[in-house]
Amino acid sequence: MAWRLESPRVLVVELDGGKGSAVRAQTGSMVAYEGDVQFKNAGTGGGGGLRAAFKQRLSGESLSLMDITGRGSVHLAVGAGHVLVLDLAGDTLKAESEGLLCLSEGLRTDVAFTGLQGASSGQGLFTTTVSGHGRVALLSLGGPPIALRVGPQTPLVVDPDAYIGCVGELRQSFVTDVSWRNLLGEDSGEAFSLRFEGSGVVYVQPEER
Amino acid sequence: MSVQPLDPQTLPDHDNLPGNPHAYCVRLTGPLFVQTGRMIAYYPLGGGTIRFEPLTATSLTGMVASHFSSPLYSRDWVVANGQGHVLLGDRGYDINSYDLDEGNLTVRAANLLAFDAGLELKESIIPGFLTLIGTGKFLASSSGPVIFVEPPVRVDPEALVGWADCPAPSQHFDAGWMEHFLGAARGALFGTRSGEERQYDFTGAGTVLLQSSERLLEDPHVVRRLEGEVRQLGPGQLQHLAGVVQAQLQQHQQ
Repeated sequence: MAWRLESPRVLVVELDGGKGSAVRAQTGSMVAYEGDVQFKNAGTGGGGGLRAAFKQRLSGESLSLMDITGRGSVHLAVGAGHVLVLDLAGDTLKAESEGLLCLSEGLRTDVAFTGLQGASSGQGLFTTTVSGHGRVALLSLGGPPIALRVGPQTPLVVDPDAYIGCVGELRQSFVTDVSWRNLLGEDSGEAFSLRFEGSGVVYVQPEER
Repeated sequence: MSVQPLDPQTLPDHDNLPGNPHAYCVRLTGPLFVQTGRMIAYYPLGGGTIRFEPLTATSLTGMVASHFSSPLYSRDWVVANGQGHVLLGDRGYDINSYDLDEGNLTVRAANLLAFDAGLELKESIIPGFLTLIGTGKFLASSSGPVIFVEPPVRVDPEALVGWADCPAPSQHFDAGWMEHFLGAARGALFGTRSGEERQYDFTGAGTVLLQSSERLLEDPHVVRRLEGEVRQLGPGQLQHLAGVVQAQLQQHQQ
């Protein structure tokens, strides 16, 4: 699995023709390629199968992926977003479906319910999960991504508009600070925030959506 | 390729995040004024809480009233109170910290992120700018790195981030454009603009802060300020104003 960043915003994936180097990437994210490479719609539910497709239909977390196979190198980029590459070793990544740029072969995608997060920010009540062993590339459309570790003694609160995704055993809850709620209707956009407890890493971007 | 995770032990106490000029971390020890929408995350110390109270509903009314002298902007600011680390960001702009020592600095309202309680905030005479007076730290953003220049200088209004220690600027209009304005009929004006005829003119001693460009924001305060001024107008003036607004709308549609 040879992945590298050509620049902070362009991911290059080298394919050696073997099954192990094949990837799934966001539909339309290919900007250039060299060699003998095939692009094929990953099919129902972004390759997650019928069950995932059904859940996606219900939840609106539509995941549109393409299978990239063959021999050569592929350049991937979306909307000049910064690319964040994560290695998963049996952990679960939670992210918005449109934030997924590329997944290595063997990772499973599914849809999970995350709570009432979407009520204020317009983001989904559901999130896409990626689990298994392999690599995943996330997009940060608002500047260079920031990784923040959450430990048992160090809970973290995040603005939903800056949130990209998280990895690890994290419990997610709403902070509806009474004083913040007073701001509703005053164009603040920060009446709710997300609180993470447990242990893991949360990814945020410096520019709000 | 990957990003090193940060936690309260590795976060800076008062600095940009490592390798990231677009995000800034402040270690909260006392009250901090923060513009709403600029907080991206926070770690409350020891699992406690950091409260973000609107200025209209804060427990620190006396302190706020004496340090925040601007009714126009009071709805856009909150007071952060508690212990812990707060991360701030602003539209992907570069964020810098400034120290004032018995000084004053005026900064574009949209570019001011936060200031501590050692400073007093007042509205500048120039619309859309806020003045900070006193001793303390504040955070301001700029589109690209800040450029420091010394008067005498004329600057583009959109490139202006702020100024310190020098008199407030006057508006300067390009001489060629003025000649045309005075000589020509009003209607012939359209199409003669270069977009650079209006400038801010700085004189005296001090420092002017510039940014490389400005992504235009629809500033809600411009409208609020105008609304306040419209009340002073008579019926004839209002009708004239309606005409101007109509012409401007048509220009946008083209």
